[in-house]
Amino acid sequence: MKYQELFPLPDEWIQESDRSMAETVSSWAEQEVIARRLEHKEDYDALLLPAMRKLMVDIGLQAMIMPEAAGGGGMDAPEAAMAAAAVIEEVGAADTSIGFLFANTLAIEYALAVAPKRSEESLKQAAPLLCGGDVTICSLVLPAYGTDMADRPRYYGLDYPATAKKGKDGWVINGGPARPQCCGATADLFAVVCDTGKGKPGLLLVKGDAKGLKRGEELKKTGLAASRNADVTLDKVKVPADALVLEGIEPLRAMLSWYYMACAAACTGALKTTHGILKEWGDTRVIKGKGQVFKENPLVASLMGEIGSKTGTCRVLTYNLARLLSRPDAYGSAGSGTMHVTAVSALKQVGHLSMEAMHNTMELMASAGYATEWNLERYWRDVKTVQTYVLPETVAQTCMARQYFNLEQL
Amino acid sequence: MRTIDDFTMPVEYLSPIDKFLRDASRDWANKESIPFRRGYDEDWEEHHTIEPAFKKLMGEMGFQRFFFPEEFGGLGFGHSNYAGVGGYRVCEEVSRADSAIGVAFAVLHWPLLLICKEPHVNKRLCAEFAPMFCDTTEPVFAANAMTEPQGGSDIENLDLLSGSTIQTTATLEGDEWVINGHKLWPTNSGGVSKLFGVVCTTKLGSNDPNDFAFIFVPTDLPGVTQGKPYQKAGMAADKNSDIWFENVRVPVWYRAHGPGDDFKYFKEMVAWGNLLSVAFCSGAMLNAYELLRDFCSEKTYRGRPLKENDDIAGVLADIARDIEATRIIGYQGARMLDRPDLYGDNWSDEIVTKMRSFKYFACDRAIDILDRAMNIMGPYGSDRVQDIEKHWRDVKIIQLWLGGKQLGQMEVARWFYDCETL
Repeated sequence: MKYQELFPLPDEWIQESDRSMAETVSSWAEQEVIARRLEHKEDYDALLLPAMRKLMVDIGLQAMIMPEAAGGGGMDAPEAAMAAAAVIEEVGAADTSIGFLFANTLAIEYALAVAPKRSEESLKQAAPLLCGGDVTICSLVLPAYGTDMADRPRYYGLDYPATAKKGKDGWVINGGPARPQCCGATADLFAVVCDTGKGKPGLLLVKGDAKGLKRGEELKKTGLAASRNADVTLDKVKVPADALVLEGIEPLRAMLSWYYMACAAACTGALKTTHGILKEWGDTRVIKGKGQVFKENPLVASLMGEIGSKTGTCRVLTYNLARLLSRPDAYGSAGSGTMHVTAVSALKQVGHLSMEAMHNTMELMASAGYATEWNLERYWRDVKTVQTYVLPETVAQTCMARQYFNLEQL
Repeated sequence: MRTIDDFTMPVEYLSPIDKFLRDASRDWANKESIPFRRGYDEDWEEHHTIEPAFKKLMGEMGFQRFFFPEEFGGLGFGHSNYAGVGGYRVCEEVSRADSAIGVAFAVLHWPLLLICKEPHVNKRLCAEFAPMFCDTTEPVFAANAMTEPQGGSDIENLDLLSGSTIQTTATLEGDEWVINGHKLWPTNSGGVSKLFGVVCTTKLGSNDPNDFAFIFVPTDLPGVTQGKPYQKAGMAADKNSDIWFENVRVPVWYRAHGPGDDFKYFKEMVAWGNLLSVAFCSGAMLNAYELLRDFCSEKTYRGRPLKENDDIAGVLADIARDIEATRIIGYQGARMLDRPDLYGDNWSDEIVTKMRSFKYFACDRAIDILDRAMNIMGPYGSDRVQDIEKHWRDVKIIQLWLGGKQLGQMEVARWFYDCETL
């Protein structure tokens, strides 16, 4: 039985066009990544960048949710959340790091094109970059842990990575060193959450070649090879007035809800491939010297059952979140406290369950799961890296507690 | 400020030279490995940056002579009643820097345990192989060639299979053993070792312990071929590869002990492998504590150091608790191996089982705390600069070897619950 049928998703919510896009991306995954990865492993120039170019530009994912008038795919409405989940799952199944990069792009494009009060000026400014003929690598720079105890405005206890002051000719941004969500070393476009001095956050776009933007040394990290990350410093970076894409807690939370959904989809994709790898292992491995097929051992089977259950749960959570985001008319704004916490909760559940499923899969495959040759370990590293990068654990817990139990001081 | 020495250990169990072992191996870790370990992953194939650390520890400090009797130039731990706690201490300190070096270091002693340790010292083989390890300041590795392509952990599944699945054969021809077979994954393969201990059968398909043979094979003999090292998720300092034996001839007395005893002492080897796996985990956990303590003192959340937030402090407490438990269990296990007069023979089913239970407990705890430490640290958790992610990648394979967690569970269930059909 095929994966799609084994781990059902809410078919009734998925348009035929969404399905068709996902199939196109699935073909891309087979041809551009899976067929070539034994040879090129995680090589950025030989495998990942060409694959991204094909996906983002030739297939057109990069401009998928940008308005048609701006040269995009015209899916600039909340309904695009379902398509996004479906395609990112396929991208994540091929290479979770590319899925994660696309999650960053999607979140920024959500703020530009899909958010309820989109800024036409900002959209017009950014469209040539995102709808042009080359890959534009996008990176979010989000509130994070700080290093001092000064009394200053914070976002849910996290320090803003930068401040932005409005002047006559636009904004001046100062901050860092800050750790972007991805691609600090290579990004063409950063979207930086700034303290705008009005007691509320603002999301400002900063082009990669902006004067005063400094990139640190490229970081070595656990996984996500397509993300060549580095800390960035913003030293009196001047951006035009229309670089402010959104302002306020609720619009920012809405963007993050979409981002969390996209990251969850990338992890769910990793589980799809993990299932395929373990299936092959379980079907062909023989143990105990008696010709017992691996999967037919009761202990193995019990663990496989857990892995299957976790995989299915992740998929359901991801697609349900996408559905909620796609229907603000029925479920409310993506930036409402309830929706945001639902997104945080889904992201964290998917992160935990994915990691558990991958740990368990590696246990069953033993050293083969640990060797690069079998391809499992790269997904294990990638999903762990997504889990650490996207919203620290305790911050997520407080965020959920605040909403579910009406906390007033945290 | 608290340090790793504030974690509990049963001090009355420690060896009389524990302070020397601790200071020497910690000094080695701080100077020879920790400053360079961030580059180890890229050096997995060549070992240019890793080799000096091995040379210092094994050759120049002489720790590769650990088990050999003093009369052959060794340090004589095989004759002592503190080889367990002494070995545990060194492996823990080494693994605090790099658990792969800990593994490679420990495994060099692993096959030698069969011939160097009381009460089963094989003096003829000690005399034969001691010069290889004791008369040099260069690092010299040995390896256990156990796992085979068809069976994974079947060979370590001694209770159930008793060697019946071993496909590597040892055939007696005159006064030589002729060995044929194919092994996978030994630590210190991939061209590193000078000596293999090879698990063979003298009769294909037999589950008679008398047909189980452990035979030493110098790696430069005709017919021994080693493949290229595997690329892995971590553990760069530990090279693993395929090994083929094609009509390899060794003298008949290269068999460790003979019918029955090879099987018995191989079980002891499994017990030791499990115990030292705890040391690899606790070393990595102790270093994670140090790294996390520094990180959580420096970075702020809600305008105060991370560690001063109750919710984060709760997780930090869990991590410290797990390190406490793992370390205590590790030293208890080491003591049990050191005092067979009190706890039973190292090769008894009870000791082998209990070492397995300690190992899979330690692995579960190590993986869990490293997972949680990375989660606390957010994007810095997966940053190589913070070193915790390296431990996270490295320790995972400790859980997977020696039959992995599932075989551990089966053996523990068999012993504690008198299971008869598993």
